[in-house]
Amino acid sequence: MSDKYLTISAITRYLKSRFDSDENLQTVFLKGEISNFKSHTSGHFYFSLKDENSKINAIMFRGSASKILFKPADGMKVLVTGRISVYEATGNYQIYVDEMLEDGIGNLYIAFEELKKKLSSEGLFDEAKKKKIPKIPKRVGIITAPTGAAVRDIITTIKRRFPSTETILFPTLVQGENAKESIANNIRKANEYDIDVLIVGRGGGSIEDLWAFNEEVVARAIYESSIPIISAVGHEVDFTIADFVADLRAPTPTAAAELAVPNVMDLKSHINNLVIRLNENIIKKVNYQKLYLDSIKNSFVIKNPMIMFDNKKQKLDLINSKINDLLIKNLDDKKERLNLLKKSYILMNPELIYKDKRNVIKNVIEKLELLNPLNVLARGYSITYLNDKSLKSINYVKKDDTVLIKVTDGNIKAKVLEIKEETHG
Amino acid sequence: MAKSEKKFEDKLSDLEEIVATLESGDVPLDESIKKYTEAMKLVKECDEELKTVEDKVNKIVSEDGNLKDFDVSEVK
Repeated sequence: MSDKYLTISAITRYLKSRFDSDENLQTVFLKGEISNFKSHTSGHFYFSLKDENSKINAIMFRGSASKILFKPADGMKVLVTGRISVYEATGNYQIYVDEMLEDGIGNLYIAFEELKKKLSSEGLFDEAKKKKIPKIPKRVGIITAPTGAAVRDIITTIKRRFPSTETILFPTLVQGENAKESIANNIRKANEYDIDVLIVGRGGGSIEDLWAFNEEVVARAIYESSIPIISAVGHEVDFTIADFVADLRAPTPTAAAELAVPNVMDLKSHINNLVIRLNENIIKKVNYQKLYLDSIKNSFVIKNPMIMFDNKKQKLDLINSKINDLLIKNLDDKKERLNLLKKSYILMNPELIYKDKRNVIKNVIEKLELLNPLNVLARGYSITYLNDKSLKSINYVKKDDTVLIKVTDGNIKAKVLEIKEETHG
Repeated sequence: MAKSEKKFEDKLSDLEEIVATLESGDVPLDESIKKYTEAMKLVKECDEELKTVEDKVNKIVSEDGNLKDFDVSEVK
């Protein structure tokens, strides 16, 4: 019964033989990222290779390890060739690496991401900083290679859409070591010309081909350009740093030309449409006013203007008669009042007026008589003057003062002998 | 841009503005007519500019910075 159960070694050995007999696994080319890298004192390298979803163990014996041109480290993207087999002691499959190269493209991505983060934090990608692309540019600058499809597509598209647009080509290296300087310099040079918009880009290519557009010097040149820039690098799928910094990104060179200039046909139809709307509007307005005017013209009053006068006349008569009535009434009132006055007692007996006037005068005279100081003297009174002022109180005089006493028939000069206080009534 | 007077772009937006104001309704008659004639003048000018389809020659900047003619059909 027990013979059908295998031992661990047996099954491991079997598996190993399957791996070793599979010629697909004898020379395998792998692309991945190094992780938990350890270099053993023996000179052998132990590490694993991973991508987003999985991992494989790897070992590189000293012989091959010593031939590597770079210093491997965790996180590095590498290209390896080797044989995959099972290491019986642990039962794990692993790759026995013969050759290892730096994965250029992998590291490029790392550099790309880092530059992207750096420039983004500096605000070079901010929407707010992006300049507006002019709707109808007079002159378009083009920064791309003077040969190849890109420049041809751009210029022919511009000419097709808006023939009277001027184009100026700045022949530029778009690939290779000197590309980045050439692009950056031409962007700066273009800023010396009277250009409304710049198209910067190139046709499709591998990541290395487009790499110049990921260089920082190009990114800064684009950012510092005072002319709005449309970037058009490679195909739809390619996104370069230049695309992030540019004021507008076009998926392809042709699309860039379409974004740069309007289509004459579209403009013409747009204007025609505006004319139609203008005419419609003005006609509608004029008609409305005409209708309104007609309605006024037909209004009753305008039709029969005399009526207006009729009721005016009527109104006038009405007012006239009113005025007459009033006048007459007014006159009667006046007459009546006059008669009343005439019959008034006083007018009937005018002498009364004099009578009471006389009485009034009489008693005024009597009063005056009484108050006349001279009469007072006649009755035995006298007025005493001191220094021409009538003396009213003893407080105003002292002994031996000379005073003047006025009596009814003359004056007496006297000297004060004695002053005695006594109140009289 | 030798022409001193308004750019095509500005004329077009002025035209669009007039249409919008007229369509907003409450513009008195004589004002509307004045705006209408102004708009039609702009239309004529815009059409004029679009008609000048004379094909401007393409230029290429040479080493010394001068502009030379560039014939796109010869591009390899």
